[in-house]
Amino acid sequence: MSRHSAPGGDTRVETAFGSFDVTADQVITFPAGLPGFEECHRFVVLSSRELEPFKCLQSVEGPTASFLAVDPRRAFTDYRCALSDVDRARLGAPDEATLVWLAVVTVLDGQTLVNLRAPIVVNPTRMLGYQLMPSNSLYPLRFELTQLF
Amino acid sequence: MLVFTRRRNEAIIVADGIEIRVLRVSKDAVRLGVTAPADVPVHRQEVYDQIREENRRAAAPPGMPLTLALLTKAMDDAS
Repeated sequence: MSRHSAPGGDTRVETAFGSFDVTADQVITFPAGLPGFEECHRFVVLSSRELEPFKCLQSVEGPTASFLAVDPRRAFTDYRCALSDVDRARLGAPDEATLVWLAVVTVLDGQTLVNLRAPIVVNPTRMLGYQLMPSNSLYPLRFELTQLF
Repeated sequence: MLVFTRRRNEAIIVADGIEIRVLRVSKDAVRLGVTAPADVPVHRQEVYDQIREENRRAAAPPGMPLTLALLTKAMDDAS
């Protein structure tokens, strides 16, 4: 990814999935970063018709932190991951009905794996994000997406 | 690395308001109690490491757009 300012104050973000114009109000702050990418604190969630139903979670600070993600409720309609007190504090005491849920997708060796155990949650009201790390989740770390077809 | 010797029921304090107390000691395990502010996550290291490894594997490799095209087509076909 590279970035430069485009006319109108937008920033153009180049990703593996194409270029996107992003504005400052789209930037989500991850105070703790993401595990493995602790130095990346600012991300955008990018959507496009080509990406649908996936989204791209892209750091605006570095090229390597770029993820494909999908709403875990697309994998399990009754997907439910309870927030702990720490999770709620990290997300700025959110209204849980408004939260955006993203499960990280890994494409490797012909397999498409969805991390349902540690979803990334965004509070759109405060533009705060946090990756949950439940120690006793029933959902798999590597759910094979082909199981849906 | 700071190294402490602690006995049962003794604790160490880290930063503001994080207390790690030795609750029980057995032959090859120590039971610890952690008291931390509401916004401080505390994890077993292996849980954090596993998720960190999974995130690193997921970070977009080259060739992703092609894979994505196949993937979205498969989902379209399925629905």
